[in-house]
Amino acid sequence: MAFRSKRWLFLLILLFSISNVFAGVIKGHVADGRTGEPLAGATVHIRSGDLSMTAVVELDGSFIFKRVPKGVYEMDVRFVGYGVVEEKKVTIGSDESVDVENINLQEQGKELQEVQVSAGGGGSEGARRLEHKADIVQNILSSRAIELSPDLTVGNAMARISGVSVQRGSSGEGRYAIIRGMDQRYNNVLVNGIKIASPDDKYRFVPMDLFPSELLERLEVIKTLTPNMEGDAIGGTMNLVMKDAPKDFLLTANISGGYSTLFSKRPFNAFYHSGINQQSPAEIHGNSYQATAADFSLSNLKYHDISTPINGSAGVTFGNRWLQKKLGFIISGAVQNFYRGSNSQYIIPDAQPNAILPTSPYYATTPQQLSVSDKYERHYSTQTTRIGLNNKIDYVFNSHNKISLYNFYVHQDEFQSRMTPDTTLGVNSGNGSYTMKYENRSTWTIQNIYNATLQGSHELSSKVRLEWTGSFSDAHKKLPDQASNSFDGGVVYDSTGKNTVKNDSTGGSMTRVWAHNSDKDWSGYANLFFTPAIAHRAVEFETGGMYRYKTRDAYYNQYDLQAKSSTQEAHSLDSVAFVFPQPDKGTGNITAVSGNNYVAHEKIAAGFIQAKFMLTHDLQVMGGVRVEDTHEDYTTNLPFNSDEGYGAIHYTDVLPSAHLKYALDRQRNIRLSYYKSISRPSFSELAPYTYPGEYFTELGNPLLKHTRADNFDLRYEWFPGLADQLLLGAFYKTLQNPIEYFVVRNGPPSSNFIKPQNGSNATNYGIEAVFTKYFGMFGISLNYTYTHSRVTTPKLFYHYVGSTIHTDTVDQTRPLQGQADHIGNLSLLFKDPKAGLDLQLALSYTGDRIAQVQQYVNEDLWDKAYVQLDFSGEKRLSRRFYFFAKITNLLNSPHQLYMKFPYARVQEQPLSYQSKSSITIMERDYYNIGILGGFRYKF
Amino acid sequence: MRKIISYALLLLAVYGIAGCSKWAEEKANIYHTVYLPGKTVSDAAPLAGSIKGTMQAGKTYTIDSDVYINQGDTLMIQQGVTLNFKNGSGMVVLGSLFSVGSQAAPIYMTVPGVTRNDAPGLDPTTDPAHQGLWRGIIGGTTCPAMVLKWTHIDFAGNPEGAVIAKNPAVNESAGTSFCILFQNYKGYFVMEDSWVYGGTDDAMRISNGKVHIFRNTFEKPGGGGGGDCVNMKGGTVGTVAYNFFIATAYNGQKLSNKGQPAGAPQANVVMYNSTFVNCGAQVQPGQRGSTIDYEQGAAGAYYNNVAINCRVGYRVVNNPAADTTHLSYGYNYQWADSLNVADQFFTWGPVCTIPQTTDLPLPSSYLPAGWNYESPTATYDGGTSSYSGGAAVQKMNPLFVNYPLPANNHGFAPWQNTAIGSFDFRLQPTSPLIGKGYTGVQPQVVVPLDLTYGASEVTPPGADLGCFQSNGKGNQHHP
Repeated sequence: MAFRSKRWLFLLILLFSISNVFAGVIKGHVADGRTGEPLAGATVHIRSGDLSMTAVVELDGSFIFKRVPKGVYEMDVRFVGYGVVEEKKVTIGSDESVDVENINLQEQGKELQEVQVSAGGGGSEGARRLEHKADIVQNILSSRAIELSPDLTVGNAMARISGVSVQRGSSGEGRYAIIRGMDQRYNNVLVNGIKIASPDDKYRFVPMDLFPSELLERLEVIKTLTPNMEGDAIGGTMNLVMKDAPKDFLLTANISGGYSTLFSKRPFNAFYHSGINQQSPAEIHGNSYQATAADFSLSNLKYHDISTPINGSAGVTFGNRWLQKKLGFIISGAVQNFYRGSNSQYIIPDAQPNAILPTSPYYATTPQQLSVSDKYERHYSTQTTRIGLNNKIDYVFNSHNKISLYNFYVHQDEFQSRMTPDTTLGVNSGNGSYTMKYENRSTWTIQNIYNATLQGSHELSSKVRLEWTGSFSDAHKKLPDQASNSFDGGVVYDSTGKNTVKNDSTGGSMTRVWAHNSDKDWSGYANLFFTPAIAHRAVEFETGGMYRYKTRDAYYNQYDLQAKSSTQEAHSLDSVAFVFPQPDKGTGNITAVSGNNYVAHEKIAAGFIQAKFMLTHDLQVMGGVRVEDTHEDYTTNLPFNSDEGYGAIHYTDVLPSAHLKYALDRQRNIRLSYYKSISRPSFSELAPYTYPGEYFTELGNPLLKHTRADNFDLRYEWFPGLADQLLLGAFYKTLQNPIEYFVVRNGPPSSNFIKPQNGSNATNYGIEAVFTKYFGMFGISLNYTYTHSRVTTPKLFYHYVGSTIHTDTVDQTRPLQGQADHIGNLSLLFKDPKAGLDLQLALSYTGDRIAQVQQYVNEDLWDKAYVQLDFSGEKRLSRRFYFFAKITNLLNSPHQLYMKFPYARVQEQPLSYQSKSSITIMERDYYNIGILGGFRYKF
Repeated sequence: MRKIISYALLLLAVYGIAGCSKWAEEKANIYHTVYLPGKTVSDAAPLAGSIKGTMQAGKTYTIDSDVYINQGDTLMIQQGVTLNFKNGSGMVVLGSLFSVGSQAAPIYMTVPGVTRNDAPGLDPTTDPAHQGLWRGIIGGTTCPAMVLKWTHIDFAGNPEGAVIAKNPAVNESAGTSFCILFQNYKGYFVMEDSWVYGGTDDAMRISNGKVHIFRNTFEKPGGGGGGDCVNMKGGTVGTVAYNFFIATAYNGQKLSNKGQPAGAPQANVVMYNSTFVNCGAQVQPGQRGSTIDYEQGAAGAYYNNVAINCRVGYRVVNNPAADTTHLSYGYNYQWADSLNVADQFFTWGPVCTIPQTTDLPLPSSYLPAGWNYESPTATYDGGTSSYSGGAAVQKMNPLFVNYPLPANNHGFAPWQNTAIGSFDFRLQPTSPLIGKGYTGVQPQVVVPLDLTYGASEVTPPGADLGCFQSNGKGNQHHP
């Protein structure tokens, strides 16, 4: 090492002292021809007779040859996975500096024009190059960037994109994007520009954590819509572009192993899932069958520990092209097996706050007091097994006609144990003696998606092109026998907090749920492009239409059993006699007839027309209008005369848009956009369902209206170098009928429910900044988004007026659910292309945001600001072998929820970790550090 | 001490005057809103769907599937009528219901062909009382008046089912299974001299409303899995008195301000002179009560009650706390055959029931000096009680006419003895409970007074403790 640094020093001195004196300089930039991403590590060769020199492309995409003797040189550029640009001739005289400018490499196969349907404006351009060349406002994350990032999945990688924060699942994995403060519902998810069926039981769009990043070519976040894009995105569109057939032989493989440090402190709690019945008693025997405890296996409520679970993932991609390169083929497969978990502490608020007496000194400031019903600890242990397959076959008849068939399949099994053990204190009890409510829950979730897409592109004349797509997708989610068991235990603590007496468990109840849903889409698209020259300027007209027929069905069957005696002590699960309190409650007629069991259809027909032209030399105009017609219907299995038992909804939206792009000079653009867009409620929201969620039971709302929004966007872009950039943007959105989940009461007054409802009109505006700068081997990348949204909704206010307690309705203005005022990312990059070393330290910040709107004023549940620090590195071991490592959540940052109520005033002192006196932390989850290391092979 | 008592009396007097002014306001209003349609309900064929009119005295009506009294409609049931509910059906009351029986000719709402089994220790899962053989009476938010007099509600508690639960004016979950549901804080609920036998969850749920619940008898209310008996929530005001309870699952009379609808009054109910025998079959001490419970934000008063061998004593909850500044109580009696009952006269856990010097037996005779009534800790008797109640066992035998104490429990826990049978819980002339009552508490009269459409009699607090009075007033259900 010492020798090396001396050599470096020597070279440096040499360069500075002589390079510009005796010879010429050849310099330039190398970039991905599609994304404009600098291809650091690519090699550039120059040859002249016997003289040959090699340079490695730097982090910012630049390369330089110094002290080049005068002459004529052949130049070629090579990079793994990319084609070779050869035989570029460079002539250099002495003391001359030649800038060859940008060299764009095509990823293998990419000079074959990809058929894109409504995938963001650039469908007509063969190689949409840089983000700043796009017609619309978008951000791109390439597979290489994801590969090098600390993120294991597409879901987590999203948070690196400017203006994007993520909504995480219970093991900390990103599932859905929140774009510019707009909740997941306002952002659609496309795969290869096509909307596909979602296996999610609640959400319309495909969750991102199902996609192994192995299968991905790039991820696009499109923040303004053009008429040729589906109009149901207010925040933006996430487009997952999957790997495409290559130009030449391609083989890559990787294998890795890892570990979550969470399980060094406690074991992974696994449940036995071999005895699980895939069908419920009512599904097997019919709805009239009277189930008894004997119909339910207890094996999935029995647990064993796995002390050091090892995570693993492997992937392989193979592609080639045959028949004079007319037939292209690629297949990628990925297998992942991850053990994750979290340790969580909760304070459970009562359904209703307390009223403070007017004589209390606190009455003036907080007449309504947070009331707490319980506090407990939960351990999640989640094993996720995922298999993904991606395949594309294309055939090029000739330069005018080609077709392709795309197949995608992903299957995921998730085994999750949720243990609520006895390590914290109950609140709804006395000072030293506690009644503990223990709960164990075992959930097996199966999800899969299949998608097949057939596409064609035909140049009918030099000015007319037709593109068409037919797509089928089928998604399933299944919850076979989710079992939970809760029971009471009396615990007495002495003054030191030590457990002195522990009774055996008493009572107990058991809930078993079978649920499944499926989503099936048939869709067809046809787009016609016409590019005449009008007044000597090229004008691109595009018109097209699409039709989608979607069928969704959902099944839900829940059995609630009780211990025969609520006071009989039991010593093990097997010794508890479970019964249905009434035999009827064991039949499917009670358990499986509800608004949760429905079949829904959606028929969307859309058409658009748009034009793009240069109004002046510097001003590009793109605009048009889209019309979307939506027919939805649902039928539950509720008896015929049930209120809301079935229904149909129809609406038509006209969605105009206009995009102006003014080029100040070659490096700087100003963009101005307007578009109108919508967001449709999901099917589960429209059906009159009742579903027990993680925190609240959720209710459907068939009267829910779709959201309409006007969106304005202004952006200034400056690209001083190939990789350096400065983007400043501002956006403004107004939403009619925004959909927000409010906590409501329904039925029993002590239970809280959440229900999607339309709020009053909302506004959302903000500014965005992206800054990237490279200094040789070091780089810094920074993005920041400020968002400000407001919506006003009615809340209840529980307080004394004189000597009686009143419940009044008051309006409260607040940000939209999920919108953080401040989000940002900071990445420090180090790249030594010669040594093949890549290091990245990434910090992501999401500010405070509302996690759940509550029924009472000032009781909203907030997500506390979250900072995550991750590290990743890659080292080239040989020409084709790489070692990589990813360490996530270095700071072990807790995910915390809080209420804006001073914790010192909470009746029972809440959890000990309260840090700020003005708030009460209601939940705290720790995921601990995750480590993954492995090898990658690239042919 | 005298000062405190005089303040308390002053408070009660103010309270009483407030109650009287309410009486004046409400009485005039209701007469005009309700009238009887001049139409009879035919008993020729089984009933189903929407019904209204008058069910004629003495007739038997069969209900084949759910019947609805629509908003604006009225069903009048005359004395001596029997309603046989078949196929697990029920009655949904979106309009008005007047079920007006008499002592000589009560009304029965029941299922045909089922006989009671009141053997001690019967397994609730096989006891016909807890099978929920019909749905019961389900009042909606549009029901302005529900009046039950001399009416038997037997074997109810079948779940509402999806269709009824989904009705916007009912809005419950499909599994809800109360024998009687009332939920309109602008409407009134009168229940006098009636009976509820059995059930599967709360026997009665008053989600909100103006109530008058007097002189009723509840046998085996609640189910094997629990359930309170007269369970009243936020927005309920009125008086509950002279009721008799035997073998409840959870509480006999419970009030909480939970779920107070916007615009509804605070839960405020005066309770007096009820008798609780063997109550709390499904209660785990430390968690729930068995007799009277005042919970979150509930105001009111409770006096002159009698509890015999109930699992947990009278209970005022302090987390979330009852409106203790507007809650008064005293003159309440408890009897324990055994130590584990006496240990729970003042239960432990999240409670703040203050022992009163008027309570019988005198709390200071068995509670340790300095006993802390706020969230007491169970550190005695194996961690089951906050004191050892040996001194309270079998004190002040109430001397019932025919129910010798200590009771013969047939080898079962007291609460497994569920039958009234031929027992007579009236007091012998020598009973120590005679003349011990506090008559200063004022009933809150918030319903109209009328022999048909309102309350027949607002029985004032009795001089004797419990629901049976030596002057013959109070509860009339006795041999």
